[in-house]
Amino acid sequence: MHLTRELIKIMNNLLKIKNLCLNIKSNSDEEILKNISFEIKKSEVVSLIGESGSGKSLTALSIIRLLEKSCKIKKGEIIFSGKNILRIEEKEMRMIRKKDISMIFQEPMRSLNPVMSIRDQLKESYMDYNSKDINQEIIKNLISVGIKDADRVINLYPHQLSGGMKQRVMIAMAIACKPKLLIADEPTTSLDVTIQKQVLDLLIELKERLNMAILFITHDLSVASQISDKIIVMKSGEIIESNPSNIFFQNPENLYSQSLLESSSYKRKLKKNINSESSDVLDVKNLKVFFKEKNSILSRNFSYIKAVDDVSFKIKPGSTHAIVGESGSGKTTIAKAIMGLSHVTSGNIKICNKNVLTMNGLEKRNFRKNYQMIFQDPFSSLNPRMRVGAIIKEGLCFLRPELDTKDVDKILYEIIKNVGLDESSLGKYPHQFSGGQRQRIAIARVLVLNPKLLICDEPTSSLDVTVQKQVLDLLMEIQDKTNISYLFISHDIKLISNISDTISVMHKGKMVESGITSDIINNTANDYTRNLLQSVPQIKK
Amino acid sequence: MFTFLLTDIFFYMIVISIILYVNYVRKTPDIRETWSYVFRNKTGIISSVVLFFFISTALLDSIHFKEKLYDTEADKYVYTSEIKSLLDIILLPIHKNSEKSYSSPFSSHLYSKETVKFTNNKDKRIYPDLLYKGNHNKYSDDNAYNIFITGSISIIKILVLSFFIYIIIFRREIFKNNSFLDPLIRNKVFFTSLFSMSLITILLYDLGSQYYILGTDKVGEDVLYKSIKSIRTGILIGTLTTIVMLPFAIFLGIFAGYIGGIVDDFIQYIYTTLNSIPSVLLIASAILMLQVYMANNPLEFENIYERADLRLFFLCMILGLTSWTGLCRLLRGESMKLREVEYVQASQTFGLNKFSIIIRHIVPNIMHIVIITVVLDFSALVLAEAVLSYVNIGVDPTTYSWGNMINAARLEMSREPVVWWSLFSAFLFMFVLVLFANLFSDVVRDAFDPRANKNYE
Repeated sequence: MHLTRELIKIMNNLLKIKNLCLNIKSNSDEEILKNISFEIKKSEVVSLIGESGSGKSLTALSIIRLLEKSCKIKKGEIIFSGKNILRIEEKEMRMIRKKDISMIFQEPMRSLNPVMSIRDQLKESYMDYNSKDINQEIIKNLISVGIKDADRVINLYPHQLSGGMKQRVMIAMAIACKPKLLIADEPTTSLDVTIQKQVLDLLIELKERLNMAILFITHDLSVASQISDKIIVMKSGEIIESNPSNIFFQNPENLYSQSLLESSSYKRKLKKNINSESSDVLDVKNLKVFFKEKNSILSRNFSYIKAVDDVSFKIKPGSTHAIVGESGSGKTTIAKAIMGLSHVTSGNIKICNKNVLTMNGLEKRNFRKNYQMIFQDPFSSLNPRMRVGAIIKEGLCFLRPELDTKDVDKILYEIIKNVGLDESSLGKYPHQFSGGQRQRIAIARVLVLNPKLLICDEPTSSLDVTVQKQVLDLLMEIQDKTNISYLFISHDIKLISNISDTISVMHKGKMVESGITSDIINNTANDYTRNLLQSVPQIKK
Repeated sequence: MFTFLLTDIFFYMIVISIILYVNYVRKTPDIRETWSYVFRNKTGIISSVVLFFFISTALLDSIHFKEKLYDTEADKYVYTSEIKSLLDIILLPIHKNSEKSYSSPFSSHLYSKETVKFTNNKDKRIYPDLLYKGNHNKYSDDNAYNIFITGSISIIKILVLSFFIYIIIFRREIFKNNSFLDPLIRNKVFFTSLFSMSLITILLYDLGSQYYILGTDKVGEDVLYKSIKSIRTGILIGTLTTIVMLPFAIFLGIFAGYIGGIVDDFIQYIYTTLNSIPSVLLIASAILMLQVYMANNPLEFENIYERADLRLFFLCMILGLTSWTGLCRLLRGESMKLREVEYVQASQTFGLNKFSIIIRHIVPNIMHIVIITVVLDFSALVLAEAVLSYVNIGVDPTTYSWGNMINAARLEMSREPVVWWSLFSAFLFMFVLVLFANLFSDVVRDAFDPRANKNYE
C-alpha cells in the first residue's frame, strides 16, 4: 500500500528539482543557485518569485538546459517525467524541448525574428506536419490564443503587431507542440495592465484546456496570485519559502516574503495638508503636441499623429499630480513638452505663473532650476563615463554659476547624504551602483537645484518592489520636507492611487478624466478608467 | 645649420602637444588616475616602452641639418646641399659605406657569383668578399665567437649605463616623491622592458657596425639602416593622416548624428560623394598634380630632400582627406543613438547648449570607437603607402619607407635565389610597430572605459 502511494506521487510529479547548485565560472566559488529543490505536479501552476538577481531565470534556463557556457551546474538533479535532464544527450534534450517543455520570454519584441512572417515563425514548431496541413494548424492555433483574424495576421511581420499580439504569437509558438510544461519568464512584465490581464486569462484558459503545468516566473506578487497554485520565493539563489498559494498570501512565513507582500502595495505614511489657496506651481492649458507624419514627398497634405491632444491640468504647491495611462497614451510626451524636450503645437504651460513657452533663451536658462525631471531608466539616465560627483554637479554648475567650488562641494556632500548614499559615492562611476542607488543619484542630481516642480517619469517601474518602496519613501520624505510638487507619470494606477492627490487618466493622447484621486478611484464615471482599474491584478487571499 | 622640413614641423608639433597633454594630465587628478591604469598594466607598460623607442627614433630622424664644409677653391665655409638627420650621424658606422649589390644577413660575401680576374690572369666565378663589413671582425676571426664577444660587451655596456642612470637620476629625492613617476620606477616590468629594449638597440648597433644584420639591398645599402629610417615615414603617415582625418570624422560625424536634419543630409551627401570616387584615383590625381607643379617650379625647391618631403606631406594630407568617411559614418550612427539616451536628455533639461552636450556627453562615449578605428587605420595606412608606392603614386622613390622596400621586394622575390630579407625586415618592423600600437590602444581604451574589467596583470 505504501509503495503504490509513492508510485502515484512519482507519477503525479512532472518535474522534480533536487539540490540544484550552480556557479558561474570565475575566480570566486560563489554559488549563484544554492540547493534549489522543488517539484511541479501535472497541470499545476507554480510561481517563482524574486527580485532581479535572485536566480529565478537561471533556474528556468537550467530546466530547459539553455544556460550560458560560463554557468556550471555543480550538483543536483532535474528529473522530468522520470528522466534526469542533466544527464541525457543533447539530441534527446532537443526532443524534450520540441515536445514537452516550452518557454516564453519577457520581451516579445526581441523574441520574434523581425525578418520572418508570423507564418514562418510558427512553422518552426510544426516540423512533423506536411506542408498542406501546416497553414490550417497555424490558423487554428492562433485562434486558440485569441487572435481572431488569424488569416490576416499569419502574413504579417512582427513589427506590424502590438505588444500584446506579439506575446500571443509567442504563446502560440510555445503551445504548438502541446507541451506538458510551459516555462513563462516574466511574460507580462513589459505589457500594459489591460493586456496583461488578457494574457493571464489566456494562460489560465490554456492550462485548463491543454492540461499543462506552468512554471511562472515573476517579480510581481499580485500577478502571481492571479494564476498560481503554489508560490516559491527566491532570494539570492536560495528558496526561502515554498507554500501553496492560499496559505502564502494569507500568512507568509518568512520575513522577506512579508516585506515583499508589504511593498507590493505601497501606502503613504503621513500627508501634510495642502494649502489650496496658494497659486499653482504648474498650469497646463489646452496642450497639444502633434507629430508630422511623413507621407510621400510630393503630397502637400501632412497627416499628424496626435500624441497629446488638448490636455489641461493644474498642480498646487506641495501636492502630487499623477498622469496615468497605458503605453502610447502620450503621458511621457506631456513631460517632455513641459521640459522643452519636445516641441509644442499649441497650448500654454505656466510654471509659477510664468509662461515657459514664450521665454527667451537666457530667461529660460535662469528659470530652469525651478522645474526638473527624473527619468524612467536609471541605467541610461546617467552618463557611464562620468563620476557621480560630476553628474550631480553638472546642473548645479550650469544653472547656478554664482556658486564657487567650495559651496558646490558642500552642497554635494549634503545632497548625497540626503538621498541616503555614502560620501565616497561621489568619486565612483554609475555602474558601481545598483538600480535603486542609481535612481537616488538621479534624484540627487535634480534636487541640488531646489526645484519647485519635479516631473517623475515612471521613476520606479524598472526597479524591484522593495527598492521601489525605498525610492518612493525617499520622494515622499522630500516632499514633506521641502513642499515640492510632483508630476508623477505612471502606468500603475494602483501605485498612483496611494501617493497622488489629484490624477489624470490619459488614453490615446486625450485626457479622459481628471480630478481628485479618491473620487476617481472609488467611483469613476468613465468606462476606460473602470476597465483600467479592473485590470489591475489584486492579491487574492 | 638646422633645417626644418615641412613634416619635421608637424612632427615637432605632435610631440609638443603630447608633452602639453602629459602636463595637463598631471594637473587633473581624475584623468591622471585613468592614465595611471595604463602605466600599471603590464601590457600598457611594455607597449609604451616599445613605442617610446620607435617614437624617439623617429624624433631623432626628424632633426635635420646641413653640414658645414670648407670649400678650398672659394676659400670659405659653405653648407652642403645634403640634408642629414641626427639619426644619420648616430648610425654612421652602420650606413657609412655601401657594397656592390645583394648580400644575405651576416654574410661575408656577395649573394651572387661574379667573374673575378686573379693575378695569374685566370678568370674565376666566385662570391666576392664584402668590402666593408662581414669579414672585418673586431675580436676574433671565428664569426660565432666574435658575435658572442660583441654581445657580451654590449651587455656590459648596458649594465654600466643603467647603473649610472640609476645612481644619477632615480636615486634623487625629486623622483621618490613624485606620485606619477614613483610607481613606475618601482615597477619591475617597466625596468625589464626598458632594459631589454636598450639591449636590443645597443646589440643592433654594435653588431650592425660589423655585420649586415639584415643583409644589403640591390645597391648594397644596409637593409637594417633602411628599415630604421623607414620608422619615421611609417609613423608620420600613421599619425599625420590620422590628425588630418580625425577632425573631419569626429566633428562631421557628431554634427550629422546629433543635430540631424539638413546638416545630416548635407554631411551625408559629402561623404557619399567622396566615398563613391575610388580613393586610389583621387590620390593618384592629387600626387600627379603635385608632380606637375614640382616639375614646373623647380626653383622653389632647394634640393631633392625638400621635394621628397613635400610629396610625403601631400600624401598624408590626401590620404587623410579620403579616409575619414568610414569613421564619420560610424560616429554618426553612434551619436544618433546617444542623442536619444536619457542622460543626454537629462542635460538638455538643465538647458545645456548643444556644444557642451557634445563635449561632455557625446565625445567621451564615442571615444572607444575612435581609438579602435584609428589604430586599425594606422596599420592600414602603412600598408596603403606600400600599395600606392606599387603604382608609383606613393612616397618619393628616394624616401626610405617600408612601402618602397615591399615594392622593391616584388622583383627580389621573383629572382632565383630568392632575396627575402628586404621584405622580411620591412615586415618585422611594421609588425612590431603595429602590434604594440594595437596593444597600447587596447589598454588605453580599457582605461577610459569605467565599465571595463580592470585587471592589473
